[in-house]
Amino acid sequence: MSPQIISESYAIFTRWIKKTIRRPTFLFFTLVQPIVWFILFTQAFSKISDIPGFITMTGTSSYLTFFSAAVILQTIIASSMQSGIGMVTDMESGYLDKMRVSPIHRFSILTGKLMSDGFRILLQTVVILMLGLGLGISIASGFGGFVLILVIASAFGVTWSGISLYIALKTKNSESTLMISLLTTFPLLFLSTAVMPMAFLPNWVQTVATYNPMSYIADALHSLVISGFDLVILGKAFAVIAGVGAVTLTAASMTFRKAVST
Amino acid sequence: MDNIIEVKDLVKIYDPNIKAVDKISFDVKRGEIFGFLGPNGAGKSTTIKILTTLLKKTSGKVVVDGIDIDENPGEVRKIIGYAAQEVGVDDDLTGRENLKLQCSFYHIPREKVNQKVDDLLKALDLTEAADRRAGTYSGGMRKRLDIAAALIHEPKLMFLDEPTTGLDPQTRKATWEYIKQLNKNGTTIFLTTQYMEEADKLADRLSIIDLGHIVAEGTPTSLKSEIAADVVQIVLKENGNRKIHEEAKSYLKRMSGIKEVKDYEDGIAVFGQNGSSLIPHIVRALDTAKIGIDQLTLTDPTLDEVFLKHTGRKMRVEEVKPPGRTPWGMRRR
Repeated sequence: MSPQIISESYAIFTRWIKKTIRRPTFLFFTLVQPIVWFILFTQAFSKISDIPGFITMTGTSSYLTFFSAAVILQTIIASSMQSGIGMVTDMESGYLDKMRVSPIHRFSILTGKLMSDGFRILLQTVVILMLGLGLGISIASGFGGFVLILVIASAFGVTWSGISLYIALKTKNSESTLMISLLTTFPLLFLSTAVMPMAFLPNWVQTVATYNPMSYIADALHSLVISGFDLVILGKAFAVIAGVGAVTLTAASMTFRKAVST
Repeated sequence: MDNIIEVKDLVKIYDPNIKAVDKISFDVKRGEIFGFLGPNGAGKSTTIKILTTLLKKTSGKVVVDGIDIDENPGEVRKIIGYAAQEVGVDDDLTGRENLKLQCSFYHIPREKVNQKVDDLLKALDLTEAADRRAGTYSGGMRKRLDIAAALIHEPKLMFLDEPTTGLDPQTRKATWEYIKQLNKNGTTIFLTTQYMEEADKLADRLSIIDLGHIVAEGTPTSLKSEIAADVVQIVLKENGNRKIHEEAKSYLKRMSGIKEVKDYEDGIAVFGQNGSSLIPHIVRALDTAKIGIDQLTLTDPTLDEVFLKHTGRKMRVEEVKPPGRTPWGMRRR
């Protein structure tokens, strides 16, 4: 990347961060939603950890601890689904044209946006982890694991943002973007190992969960919180991020190029 | 290089087969204010979007400042500024932040940014509102911020797409002053408008565009002289008295040198060649008939008549719908 693209992307990155922080919805998604999830699900499902085998399978007797991965993943999905909406808003308001008429590299518009998505999800994950720590969760892998969770969350968040951007650039409509992306990706959370350990899932769900990228991210988060560093599990998670990212980000860049080129 | 824009046989066809611009050619001279006048849907915005490298043309040739826009759009972008009809302002950022962001798009050296932003805020009367979010601005302020942003890199050539549509008359007048000032400082201006008055007040030369075709071009004065008539507007002393009004009209109609007599708002409009020499005759005729004159004004014909003459229709000004909610790609029809 040329230094020009880097400085342009950085400018666009800071623009989105400022916008995000100034929106009241950001605070809602970041704080209120994880709290609701933590309380609702851990209360409703607290008996799950009493099921024989839960401790041996998960390594923890606390469903709260196990569930923290699901809260992080849920936030990643909800947050990355907003990515495309910002792009549609820029198209509708004419701001995208404002950028396109300037000599900036088209690529910077997209990289700056994706960087901001990653950073937003990082901030949100920090909030969730702090919340979790406050509720009594301890992170087995310590501070290093804490940092690694942030890296995984924001990297996976960026790859998932690619889906939302792709849908946004195809539909050019914010309502459809949100609906389609939530409908297609949210159920994946419950068809993964994020909410339940693999063995507790019905057979067909196990099959889906095996091929579901979210399971690998959930496994990595679980292991970092519950047991410590497991290089195999972590390796798989990063491979999944790279693989999914290659597909979603390529799709997003291609539709983006089509949308902005003259 | 006298022409800063040269357009030859420009065509834009949208799917499915809508000819928005149909083989138009025109040149814009360096240093002038060039107006593109036409009703909604005439092809003004399409043309401006092609010239500003935002939209791909179907065919034809466009050269901006000696650069073919197909060959090197990046170089064209460096020397042009564009204020779209839909204001491209980020509402979540303050006016100052908007301009600073714009500086980074054009790689303005960091040490110059603050000075430049301050100067532009001052020039466009936004200093007081500089640190408020653009979302709180009035329509006129947003428009000015948008223009300021387009000026950040001191473009040689400024494109203004309907700069005063949707603004109140007072703000409109102020915007005209900014545009004139900008032009005085050496910027060539390409302006589209659906207001006759605006084209008349601002443009050195203009093209009238209708349904994708250029129907007339020239200076406002030369276009109006094609109509070959002056207009004398008369307001009678006994304004409102139908009988006297009709009587006056019948006297005027009988005079030589008068082409047409029409009702005009609450007075009478007289069309004729060489209006200034007509005035004494009009005064004498009405005086003899003992009809008092309250007011008598000699005006040039307006561009309204020019448009009427070339298209056979009156130009209707439609206010554009509020920006924002239309899906992308639909709104430039």
